[in-house]
Amino acid sequence: MRIRAERDDLADVLARAARAVGNRSPLPILQGLLCEVSGDELRVTGTDTEITIRTTLKVEVLEEGKTVIPAKLAADAVKRLPSGAVAITASDGEVEITGNGPRFRLREMNVEDFPTLSISEGGDGFSVDSKSFIKALSQVGVAASTDEARPTLTGVLFEKTDDGLRLVATDSYRLAVCDLPGVDGPATALIPYRALRELGRSIADDEMQVMITDRDATFTSGRGSLTVRIIEATFPNYRQLIPDSYPARLVVDRASLVDAVSRASLVAEDHIPIRFHLRSGGAELSVSRQEVGEETEQIEGDYTGDEMTIAFNTRYLTDGVQAITTDNVVLDTSDPLKPGLMHGEGEENFRYLLMPVRL
Amino acid sequence: MNSFAEHFLHVDMDAFFVEVERLYDPSLRGQAVVVGGLGNRGVVSSASYEARAHGVRSAMPIVEARRRAPHARFVASSMGRYGEVSEQVFETLRGVTPTMERLSVDEAFLDISGLRRHFDTALDVAREIRARIRSEVGIPASVGLATRKFISKLASEDAKPDGIHLVRAGEELAYLHPMPLRKLWGVGQATFAALEALGATTIGHVAQIDVEILRARLGPSLGQHLWQLSRGIDERSVTPGGGAKSVSVESTFATDVVGVESLERELLRLSDRLAGRLRRAGVRGRTVEIKVRYATFETVSRSVTPPNAVRRTHEIWQHGKELLAKLDIGNQPIRLLGIGVAQVGDAAAAEQLTLDTPVVRAADDAAELVRERFGDTSIMPASILGSEDRDRS
Repeated sequence: MRIRAERDDLADVLARAARAVGNRSPLPILQGLLCEVSGDELRVTGTDTEITIRTTLKVEVLEEGKTVIPAKLAADAVKRLPSGAVAITASDGEVEITGNGPRFRLREMNVEDFPTLSISEGGDGFSVDSKSFIKALSQVGVAASTDEARPTLTGVLFEKTDDGLRLVATDSYRLAVCDLPGVDGPATALIPYRALRELGRSIADDEMQVMITDRDATFTSGRGSLTVRIIEATFPNYRQLIPDSYPARLVVDRASLVDAVSRASLVAEDHIPIRFHLRSGGAELSVSRQEVGEETEQIEGDYTGDEMTIAFNTRYLTDGVQAITTDNVVLDTSDPLKPGLMHGEGEENFRYLLMPVRL
Repeated sequence: MNSFAEHFLHVDMDAFFVEVERLYDPSLRGQAVVVGGLGNRGVVSSASYEARAHGVRSAMPIVEARRRAPHARFVASSMGRYGEVSEQVFETLRGVTPTMERLSVDEAFLDISGLRRHFDTALDVAREIRARIRSEVGIPASVGLATRKFISKLASEDAKPDGIHLVRAGEELAYLHPMPLRKLWGVGQATFAALEALGATTIGHVAQIDVEILRARLGPSLGQHLWQLSRGIDERSVTPGGGAKSVSVESTFATDVVGVESLERELLRLSDRLAGRLRRAGVRGRTVEIKVRYATFETVSRSVTPPNAVRRTHEIWQHGKELLAKLDIGNQPIRLLGIGVAQVGDAAAAEQLTLDTPVVRAADDAAELVRERFGDTSIMPASILGSEDRDRS
């Protein structure tokens, strides 16, 4: 195998495919990137067997063939060469990477060891606008669990609704829902957020095709594709968790709330809850930590409902407020032990349900 | 004289594990009994007084115990039972006074000042306590009484087995001063050596040393503290509830365990046991800590403080696994594995509520119910089922 390409283009396709490569893989071959050259194209594949990223690049092909190169080292090596043309040559168990002087000679990994990754056929396909799709994913993704012991909660639920696609995630402490009207989604699929988080930096273009089968989900754009095995489990029945109506509502300026919560976090660190004393004219926020001290402040806003004190985990609250993009934030509550619902004022496509902390 | 001056009580179960085993198997009564890990590398966790007469001691290798008392009955530890009986004992004590501080599974401090209207003397309270534990739980307890908290603990030693020792008001120093230094709370190997270098071998000797010298040699706070104790000064009171600031479980393997997968499985078993203890005590932990002893006996520990206090098997296990991964153990053989939680607090205090999705909690909650009725071993995660219990200590 022998190719030549611009340094920046080559570094880009290698680095993006390398995002699927795990840091600590039990199999050495999974630390490698499969590079296949035929016609006028280089195809790069990185995988941790759960997530697979494929990227392609038009290159000057001097000799067709394939090789497996150490992912991180090769991607970094190309990136650090002087700008201009870079050549990669694989022969006799060695991969040579050269460009304007410097020369890396790396051990080639065994091509036969690289796992064969079949892509399942059929399934539901639809296309999405990358920008709004990735924004929606990051909004719900904050609520996804990172606890691998509960795989069901590490996924984002894709669900078809009457007027589009709905994305849902929960770690059992909070639940985020985002509706994408007009997107023709699949019936239902539970897709690991760990993979979805990589879409923005690996694949996303103006538009993406999404193909979901009963085994995996593939996201494709002009820049490549990401395939991930879907989670075979039943997502909690989230609809029953969202109350139909709330007797109390607080509306406050989003930026003020973000600032207030960030000040309170200084005292709270991440395990002391922030108390909201909700009363007419807004809310009093307070946090106190026995061995450190306390912080209190008033937030002006509109509050309708009975006076009450409700407390939330600082980090969960911050995640929710930051995911909201409108100028004003609405916090609907009913009682200090029942979930609060946050969303932007006049914008209900994104909703963030948050369980309080019992004081 | 004030008959309630000696209002600090230290209650200590005699050969606790042995007595619990005797509850379950009456044929063990009156015999030399040794409880511990029965494998080749097991150690004695409790020995009956009959066995102690042959030189068997706690923490002695089981092999040595078998050599010293070949006729003794050897019983494998069953931690679940001890936790249950322990709860019964504390329940009984709480029935006497709420001012109780648990010190470990089988001992507690009590402040009985509040009972002076109901009893004539402190000694009467001690008798009542022993009688109640005997009738309600069925095991013997020893009680030390004194005017100072730390002296009551020393006194319960002298009360054993199955007795009462009262250090009367005014007789504290006469009791304390002849005692060897090691009896003093907080005197470990290094402190002992430092004090010995000053010519002190008894508590009385320490009382004669200039406090400034003690502060200089042992550090200001420890020096001051020991000097005060040696003079019978102890301001500490009984802190109800307090006691256990951490809860942990560990197991020494019959044969060294190799490989992350096996270790994680053992960790799950331990996490499950730990969660059981937290459940019985009605507490949660802020910090999760693991302890790993390599075959080389090198011992390391790692801890993490997650955003929410933990009490469930999977929460504990998950954090334990992450800590284990940080150690990068690879294929090094492991002799002992332990996991615990620190900063234990009331499960009801400032609890992050959950959305209570059935699938998330149903399994854990159902398991808890089963365990409450049928005991800890009645139900467990499938991945540790079938692999035989490797715990031998």
